[in-house]
Amino acid sequence: MSAPVLEIRDLTVSYQTGQGRLPALRDVSLVIPEGRIVGVVGESGCGKSTLISAIIRLLAPNARVDAGTIRFKGRDLLALPAQEMRSLRGGQVSVVFQDPMTSLNPVLTIGRQMADVQHRSAAGRSAKDQRSQRMLERVGIPDPEAQLRRYPHQLSGGMRQRVAIAMALMAEPALLIADEPTTALDATLEVQVIHRLQELQRDIGCSVLFISHHLGVIAELCDSVIVMYAGEVVECGATRDVFRDARHPYTQRLLACDPGAIAVRTRELPVIPGSLPDLARLPRGCVFRERCAERIARCDTERPRLAGLDHRAACHLVDRAS
Amino acid sequence: MSGLLSVRDLRVRYPLRGGQVDVVHGVSLDVQRGRTLAIVGESGSGKTTLALALCGLVPLAAGQVRFGGGELARDRSGRLMPDRRRLALMFQDAVGSLSPRMTVRKILAEPRRIHPAGPVDADQEALRLLSLVGLGDEIADRFPHQLSGGQARRVGLARALALSPDLLIADEPTAGLDVSIQGEVLNLLARVQSETGLGILVITHNLNVVRHVADDMAIMYLGRFIEQGDSGRIFSAPRHPYTAALLSASPSPDPDARRDRIQLSGEVPSLRHRPTGCEFHTRCPRARTLCAETFPGPTQDTGARVFHCHYPMG
Repeated sequence: MSAPVLEIRDLTVSYQTGQGRLPALRDVSLVIPEGRIVGVVGESGCGKSTLISAIIRLLAPNARVDAGTIRFKGRDLLALPAQEMRSLRGGQVSVVFQDPMTSLNPVLTIGRQMADVQHRSAAGRSAKDQRSQRMLERVGIPDPEAQLRRYPHQLSGGMRQRVAIAMALMAEPALLIADEPTTALDATLEVQVIHRLQELQRDIGCSVLFISHHLGVIAELCDSVIVMYAGEVVECGATRDVFRDARHPYTQRLLACDPGAIAVRTRELPVIPGSLPDLARLPRGCVFRERCAERIARCDTERPRLAGLDHRAACHLVDRAS
Repeated sequence: MSGLLSVRDLRVRYPLRGGQVDVVHGVSLDVQRGRTLAIVGESGSGKTTLALALCGLVPLAAGQVRFGGGELARDRSGRLMPDRRRLALMFQDAVGSLSPRMTVRKILAEPRRIHPAGPVDADQEALRLLSLVGLGDEIADRFPHQLSGGQARRVGLARALALSPDLLIADEPTAGLDVSIQGEVLNLLARVQSETGLGILVITHNLNVVRHVADDMAIMYLGRFIEQGDSGRIFSAPRHPYTAALLSASPSPDPDARRDRIQLSGEVPSLRHRPTGCEFHTRCPRARTLCAETFPGPTQDTGARVFHCHYPMG
């Protein structure tokens, strides 16, 4: 097997704030093999966005990488000179953001923006337009020639997001990072965009890091999944294993909360009692213990490590069982 | 039926350079006391415009609206004039709808400042409203930017309930919330409804939510209701192909769920170029020639369900 496209080891990132240092990511490890789609799922505040910023090295000025490595095709991204990192972004690594209305420039035509992302190519404008048209066609946009002359506000939300995907794939990246790309879309369009993304990924053969808080979308699209909570990876494994046989109490609760998973109509939807721990005053032991119904004495004192072979969970109960 | 809110053939028209578009195209609905009606549809189908029209924020082009027994008057520009004390709105953008310069305490006191209703201690009242939505007293002195998404929704709901309205219009009350917090907000709405008999009109595109919270539902496409009725019946056996497509499109967290999706082809048409006949025929897998020619009239199903389709499902 070839080397993974992305390999993150024990990544720890913190933010300097008025209340002291906030550890936003703690010992996060993940591997994205070539040609695979890996999902990261977690609720607001779990560190998803910090993770993306760390990979593309666009962390906020008050953030600091305290420990860990990020390797892209074997190269250490954290040690890369700024110039090389810049040429990587939008080339080998590209990102599709959540809201296509704010990630596209409202005062430039689609054609101009798609030509701009080809700035590294020596081709002339008409050749670039030809490429843009072909790419728009591949993401399923009708009448691509006419679309090049239009502005983002003249397209529907689903079309805008497909334009954003087309732009991200222009350079045929080795790694596509998709940050909640379907959150702003309706159900029928969401499914359309996911299937399109799946097809293109197969065609181009790139790897995808797909971030979402939508469990259904992750289950549908991803080969494997990483569940994050309060800055830590609490469970990871093949999508099927994690969703079928969730081992971490947080994953179990999260799956139980999804109204799509509740077959019988109910007025009293399940919730996870409590709230995220204060990152400035992280408790000792397990990050989830204050909301966990199954906590044991060991959870208060000792932080659980990811245990297991392919399907791993950071929980003392799992550790004890295996 | 003597409903709390009864709307007949409501139309909203927006002017456009070189013409006009019908954003809401002849909509009829009823909301009963203590019951919830969900309006479902894709972005741009007219859901939010309908809500704004009912609150009197955009003018009507046509239609009758009865609220709490009497027909609602309109002002000179055609906007409805509902009694604002009896109808409350929970806005889609929870944080954006709270004034950033006011504390939660002031935000909650504002409705009573505008509509004085007897001698009530404003502070006591703010705390009562906070506890009604499950928030502690300490929230009262915070500013909106100090609230989490879920807390902001709760404050928005508390403000909506300040004058004990009869009807609550909730525009995407859980959009952007995490699943665990979404449950909390929806459970809260259900509890308030059972305690006060509030009628709720909820606008959403999240079908998984509708199934659990709504008694009745209406599916909107390009400004029209194409199917409406008891939500349980619609979920178990949709008649309109668009409803069926929407229901089958919801991605399921079960990796083994059967994926027999109804795939829609084509783009959502623009309101400026409303298709002839049935508006859905350009994307409909069952469309035949008739569909492009005439708009199907209402078909009344057994039970209280109405749909518009020449060649319905099932």
